[in-house]
Amino acid sequence: MSYELVAGLETHIELSTKTKIFCNCTTEFGGEPNTHCCPICIGLPGTLPKLNKNVVKYAVKAGLATNCSIRNISKMDRKNYVYPDLPKAYQISQFDKPLCENGYISLSTGKNINITRIHIEEDAGKLVHQRGDTYIDYNRGGVPLVEIVTEPDFRSIDEVVEYIEKLRLIMKYIGVSDVKMQEGSLRCDVNISVRKYGDNDLGIRTEIKNMNSLSFIAKAMEYEFNRQIDIIENGGIIEQETRRYNSDLNITESMRKKEDADDYRYFRDPDLVTISIMDEQIQQIKNELPELPSVKLKRFVEDYNLPIQDAELLVKYKKVAEYFEEACIKIENHKVVSNFILSQIFRTLSTETEKEDFNILIPPSYLNELVKLTETKKINSSLARITLEKMLETGKPLSEFITEKHLQGIDENTLKSICEKAVLANEKAVNEYLNGKEKAFGSIIGYIMKETKGNADAALATEIIKTIIS
Amino acid sequence: MITRDDILKIAKLSKLSIEDEEIEALTKDMAEIIQFADTINTAVEDENMEFDNISNIINAFHEDEVIESFDSDLILKNRDGGEDGYFLVKRRSVN
Ligand SMILES: [Zn+2]
Repeated sequence: MSYELVAGLETHIELSTKTKIFCNCTTEFGGEPNTHCCPICIGLPGTLPKLNKNVVKYAVKAGLATNCSIRNISKMDRKNYVYPDLPKAYQISQFDKPLCENGYISLSTGKNINITRIHIEEDAGKLVHQRGDTYIDYNRGGVPLVEIVTEPDFRSIDEVVEYIEKLRLIMKYIGVSDVKMQEGSLRCDVNISVRKYGDNDLGIRTEIKNMNSLSFIAKAMEYEFNRQIDIIENGGIIEQETRRYNSDLNITESMRKKEDADDYRYFRDPDLVTISIMDEQIQQIKNELPELPSVKLKRFVEDYNLPIQDAELLVKYKKVAEYFEEACIKIENHKVVSNFILSQIFRTLSTETEKEDFNILIPPSYLNELVKLTETKKINSSLARITLEKMLETGKPLSEFITEKHLQGIDENTLKSICEKAVLANEKAVNEYLNGKEKAFGSIIGYIMKETKGNADAALATEIIKTIIS
Repeated sequence: MITRDDILKIAKLSKLSIEDEEIEALTKDMAEIIQFADTINTAVEDENMEFDNISNIINAFHEDEVIESFDSDLILKNRDGGEDGYFLVKRRSVN
């Protein structure tokens, strides 16, 4: 009997406002412990929290970018629970009137993952376990979060991974979060259950808490999916509970059962006044939104005639996408520009962060110039490649490396005699090629490029050699 | 109706220990408090008016500009234990 996976996601994303959600302390990551704190964010009695204007604005942006409707009237509530990272013994969050509701994100298959709600809340402090004791740093306490809750719409781990990647990219594009998973600014709780294919009822679900790596999420879901199937196949019943992923053992383990489920006793925070957002303000924020990744992707494929895989790689990094567009001005074959970026330039940027920052020495206009020369056939592709390499190393424009002599190219007669020389010098390769080993041809061309310092027209040389040896 | 179980649940959530003989009196008191709240609720005439927002103030925001945080010595002044700028979580005996 085969089983279907059913999952829903709660994603916490730290907003990149300058200050915390209810006070003017900095949200900067790190710092000496308890140095980004004030009486409000360590929860001293008698203090009065005041909501950060930009938190509302950023959350509305996040909502609009994920197709949510925005509430005109909203409020803050207290979620009561006792834990040392929460100095007030309640978290200020939103209960029944979240800022954003009923959105969705479309996956590449065309399937929509429905977003139930997006609300704003404060992050908790950080617990540090040392020598058997637990210490608290409240620097992170009060950093603004949005919590994005989906319907149980996921049917595979791949869908979950794609959703998180899409969500991350959207948040990065609209500039509301740096979404650095390793720094915990994007964390996920996954609700997961299984059912037999064809069943309409949902199975009993477990929740895996607080994961901040895509590979952990995938592994935890895989483990949990199989664990639940095993229980059912052995005649057992799934217990509704909260679990955590243990990455050392690659298993999920029980944290607490349903019987001691939390009773948060939500009620309105009387210290915080009603949030009111007019339609005109929502429209204004909407107008400020940049082009979203899904729209850009579609445009890159249609307007620049790029294969979808190439367009995806360019759009994945906002700065790369911008660079590409500038380098494409008055170019006919945009694929050439994309190829230079995705192969040669990306090779110099080994990490994701380097690609995201895209700090390369040459401006897009330099690449544009180079591609124009190849389009007018003034230089061939191997010379272009060598030149780009020098440009990337030095930051200098191509006029430093391409001389008049290059632009005149090699006349056909000269090329012909070099080709003859190449055939004689590469007897072995020629024979191999003639015996059907296509690859051997490359080394003959390589010889010619070496002889001409990359100046020869490879297509023409190929033609000449084939006439000589056939 | 407030029941004995409700009182025990609230006591647990509030981390209070209650003696058996206190439960009956607490149940009665709590019922009276709830009834008082119900009475006030019936006094709210306008259905559209939110009881918990009687002041009708909206949108009191702070601007997103950093103000220097407090000196950590002041933040940590009342701590009991702890070192290197951290608060210490008191160990609790499991009950
Ligand atoms: Zn503060």
